[in-house]
Amino acid sequence: MLLSEPVRVLLWKEWREMTRNRGMLLSSTLLPITSMVLAPFSQLYALRSYVGSAPPADLGPIVGMPDGSDPMELLLRFLFPLYVMLAGLLVPSVGSTYTVVGERERRSLELLMILPVRVADILMAKLAAMLLLTGGVLLPLFAIDAVVLLALGIATPGYVGLLLLVLLASIAYSVAVALLLALLARDLRTANYLNGAMLGPLIPVVVAVLGAVPGDWGLVAVSALLLLAGGVALVISLRWLTFERYLA
Amino acid sequence: MTSPAAARAAPVPGADWALAFERVSKRYANGVLALDDVSWAIARGARACLLGPNGAGKSTTIRLLQGALQPTHGRVTLLGAEVNGPHYLAARRKTGIVPQEPGMYRDLTTGEYLTLARQLYGRGRDDLARLVDVFGLGEYLDQMLARLSGGYQRRVVLAAALLGEPDLLLLDEPTVGLDPVAAHTVHAYLRSAMEQRTTLLCTHNLAEAEALCEQVVILRAGKVLVQASLEELRAHVHPQLRLAARQGTGPLQAALRQRGLVAEPDDEDDAVLVTVADAARDAPALLRGLLADGLDVYECCAVQVTLESLFLDLVREAGG
Repeated sequence: MLLSEPVRVLLWKEWREMTRNRGMLLSSTLLPITSMVLAPFSQLYALRSYVGSAPPADLGPIVGMPDGSDPMELLLRFLFPLYVMLAGLLVPSVGSTYTVVGERERRSLELLMILPVRVADILMAKLAAMLLLTGGVLLPLFAIDAVVLLALGIATPGYVGLLLLVLLASIAYSVAVALLLALLARDLRTANYLNGAMLGPLIPVVVAVLGAVPGDWGLVAVSALLLLAGGVALVISLRWLTFERYLA
Repeated sequence: MTSPAAARAAPVPGADWALAFERVSKRYANGVLALDDVSWAIARGARACLLGPNGAGKSTTIRLLQGALQPTHGRVTLLGAEVNGPHYLAARRKTGIVPQEPGMYRDLTTGEYLTLARQLYGRGRDDLARLVDVFGLGEYLDQMLARLSGGYQRRVVLAAALLGEPDLLLLDEPTVGLDPVAAHTVHAYLRSAMEQRTTLLCTHNLAEAEALCEQVVILRAGKVLVQASLEELRAHVHPQLRLAARQGTGPLQAALRQRGLVAEPDDEDDAVLVTVADAARDAPALLRGLLADGLDVYECCAVQVTLESLFLDLVREAGG
């Protein structure tokens, strides 16, 4: 069995709590629906409507892009990976803010501490709950993206696979950052600020990487960057995260 | 009061202690030294209270026993297992902990929390059903924990603490924040729960400590000021009589001085306190003598030595 008995018991508790919190459920479903379905598909619809018709006469070259750039290629190269990455970053951060930082702020962690469990079990259960929530929300949305892109013939299976890699890497990064937040944020407001500080700067960096690395290799580079940053966050968290710091 | 130095104790390695601190220091990351090389222990079966002014190190002590903190130096053991060592989790399964005013879950019911506790303690459904019955929680099982009254929240925590049939109870201010009626009910449950169990009660409520415990550990500024039984502490106190006369404290003090007794005014009202060798033996003769001197003595009683007075004397003696 992948999870130990105490972690499974604690995971059940986390899941019960998360599924009862309407605010968190709404945030963690509406944000990715917007990011992975509504926003990219509205762009896609607009572009497909434009294809075949003459561009407006006064439409100059796209800023920062070479003349003659194909808008559909730009959508696949920049916007789709960004939208998918944002969804992968947002859902775990919403979950972690509620389950990790919220528990600390409410002081309900005391109710777990009095039971015979290890801090590692408590955190493992929270991470597993976050992953369940993230997977439950994001994978079906990604499946919709994949089906639409492939059915319309505007992306190859290889591209879709790399897009999935970006999604998984961003989830891994976000979950690792969630652990760091458990160390750093004393309350929900601080957690939200820190989430912004840790996720926001990624967007220009990722755009720069996608611009600098040609073709589908850009997606590989972004995934590697996210996994590297997530790995650093994880190492820092595991070295520093103790019950003492979590409770401080 | 004489110093109860003889009653102070340090743990003996290898002895059958329920919990023991061996030369334990705890310094926090901000530099505060919460415990300074303390050694003390509670034998199995004992019921002890942990007292001390704010900042004495009581909460740190409880946190160390919970495994929530690591000592900077020294060794803490719980039921023979070193805290956070390989056998610590097994020891925790035999330890019930009631924390001080924990936060409550808004999205978890009483029944769900108790089921979680039951599964982590590895107990059967019957054990939970029995405790739900004992603590009168049956009609609250579907209520969110945060919606329960303070008294019922404390009952839930106490029920969870007893689920593992613990050998040791750690009670951290179990009645703080409760109204008198709820506190009285929780006291009744505590008395029953503490029977046949080693208990460490951390409290500011000295009447509660006196009612529930026989031993006292007093911390001050991170050090053990006293560890002794209540009887030992009382034995170090000279008996006193409280006297009041219609003529006031002046003539009464003068009459007592003539008999070679030192009397001091009672802080609380128009009476004096006089130290005697044996209150029951000396009071009748003294009273007869004072009445013969023409003093209208209307009060003469032996002063009860409370834990509160002992605690205040000890802390004052220690300079604080």
